[in-house]
Amino acid sequence: MAPEQSPPGVRIRGLTVVYRTPAGELPAVSGVDLDLAPGTITGVVGESGSGKSTLALSLLNAVQPPGRIAAGSVEIDGLGDVVALGGEGLRRARGRHVGYVFQAAQNSLNPLKTVGKQVLDLGRSHGVEDPRGLLADARDLLGRMGLDGARVLDSYQHELSGGMRQRVGIMLALVLNARLVVLDEPTTALDMITQATILRIVREVHAERGLTTLVITHDLGVVAEVADRLAVMYGGRLAEQGPTREVLAGPRHPYTRGLLGAIPRLVGDIGEARALPGRPPTLAGVPADGCVFRERCPLRMDVCETGRPPVVVSGSRSAACHAVRDDEGDRPAVAAATGEDQA
Amino acid sequence: MISGIGITKTFRQRGGVLGAREVPALRGVDFAIPKGGAVSFIGESGCGKTTLGRIIAGLETCDSGEIVIDDVAMSSLSHRRRQPYFRRVQLIHQDPYSALNPTRTIHQALAAPLALRAKQTGRPRSWTDERAGELLGLVGLDPGYVLPRYPHQLSGGMRQRVVIARALTVDPEVLVADEAVSMIDVSLRLGILALLKDLRERLGVSVLFITHDVATARYIGTDGELYVIYRGQVVERGPVETVISAPVHPYTQALLSAIPVLHGLESPGEQRVVPVEASGEHPDGCLFAPRCPFRTERCERERPALGRDGGTPQEHACFHPERRSVVALPVSRG
Repeated sequence: MAPEQSPPGVRIRGLTVVYRTPAGELPAVSGVDLDLAPGTITGVVGESGSGKSTLALSLLNAVQPPGRIAAGSVEIDGLGDVVALGGEGLRRARGRHVGYVFQAAQNSLNPLKTVGKQVLDLGRSHGVEDPRGLLADARDLLGRMGLDGARVLDSYQHELSGGMRQRVGIMLALVLNARLVVLDEPTTALDMITQATILRIVREVHAERGLTTLVITHDLGVVAEVADRLAVMYGGRLAEQGPTREVLAGPRHPYTRGLLGAIPRLVGDIGEARALPGRPPTLAGVPADGCVFRERCPLRMDVCETGRPPVVVSGSRSAACHAVRDDEGDRPAVAAATGEDQA
Repeated sequence: MISGIGITKTFRQRGGVLGAREVPALRGVDFAIPKGGAVSFIGESGCGKTTLGRIIAGLETCDSGEIVIDDVAMSSLSHRRRQPYFRRVQLIHQDPYSALNPTRTIHQALAAPLALRAKQTGRPRSWTDERAGELLGLVGLDPGYVLPRYPHQLSGGMRQRVVIARALTVDPEVLVADEAVSMIDVSLRLGILALLKDLRERLGVSVLFITHDVATARYIGTDGELYVIYRGQVVERGPVETVISAPVHPYTQALLSAIPVLHGLESPGEQRVVPVEASGEHPDGCLFAPRCPFRTERCERERPALGRDGGTPQEHACFHPERRSVVALPVSRG
């Protein structure tokens, strides 16, 4: 069913999203550069207020007032710069090109309509000419995810469990054959075993349909299970990114290290797990100058107060920190502090 | 010391085309929370762990079975005389956002229960302010900053600390923490867990920890007891480290197998157990049998009881207990 052409790549450059507040416009996302390579799963990890959901919404150019994309571009293969899109073109792109599984997808279904009805609504709003074919696709997708497709299509949301609703959310994101899929917190509020099932399904469907996938989560474990690449966000900026296994095996940014160290594990000395001091910044509390993480950083230096950390690139990894030395990578290169010319 | 014998609870669901339906939430659960000890209830949502916590906190009654607090059977007391006993058990909800009245400052939230406490113990009114500051200090907050503020002015982690401080106003013997960190930011969760552990050590308060995340249970106390609950039945029970490192019940193994592996740092357990997706149950058989990859014909006929068959160090309810290595192990780094 999936079309033949290759999955789309995404290039986010200098993305800045601001929210209007009584204290003026404050950046929720600030100068983010991120590539989603075609056919890969990228995981963005961050705590509340890190800007990760705002970043994800930018892929649909769907940031709602009082927020707006203030600068930058989101270049999607086959669509162009979605920041420049508007009106009908944008509406078509959502669903057709970019599928979005919303945070708490378990609760985002219409309680008054069967799932099948909602599939037909989706088809109508996107001018699908063969509604029967669409329903058949929906049924197949649900079947692929281990559900009785026909029965689920006839069900109302209250008749489905959390894990089943989450799969319905994924089906709705994919049924119009979108090749770029964004999953925002796909497993919050799910039990461990259901979470493991959903993550397996995400991996399998991603591979079978040839997708480019972005997973947004607060849980490093989720990213570790599914993502090829990992990007860590803090205070609206990218702290670190690279191949998942490499970042987990040798985190460079002190925030990544802190996050990893704060996960209680099942083996080893439990006393080694350490909470990060302080708390995540709020929109109003993000420092305008210098490093956004400095308040909680064990490596804080004078320069962190004033200078925005340079993005230190080495190979396929990068970290934005004054304390990260060039010699931690094999091919050091320091991009400008604004991160404009980062490879 | 609080214990329970044969706690049973059935919910009756009304409505629907099929009329009333009976849903067993707890099927004869025995437990004991020793003084100063740590006990964790682990299981999926709907397994009955929250209901059990509410029964222990006196917020819900059981259909049959007995809760015993300091050798007094609660069923022998009138509702009125029971209250002082259950006040020793304080419940901490998972949602610190709805647990505090948004129109009251933290000072007001703490002053009310403390005033009552002052009256009970014959202390002067002035003691309440002093004690409020003391309790906030105990949970790691700056009283000067927190007291005049409203809940919305605090982060989730700070709010949960306030909720814990409020629970401490009545000098409880047991804190029941029901998914107490699931709505807290990841970097702050460990701080709350460490606080609960610290309160155990410093105040000798017992902690009943209810969660679906086994690893966090370990953090509250490696000396604690773990109860794995499946559909209202305890299916495995023993010391935390034993149950985690050498689980014998396939359901416990499935839970442990489902914990994400930090690839790059860890390698997955070699015998991870993935439950079969199935619904329904055998009326007399093992509750987990429909989803169990190792079920035999006997499992569909008979329901195993909690015991130590097979000479295992922990108790389990399985006809075919077998150790499996399901937990991810750290990769040795070169």
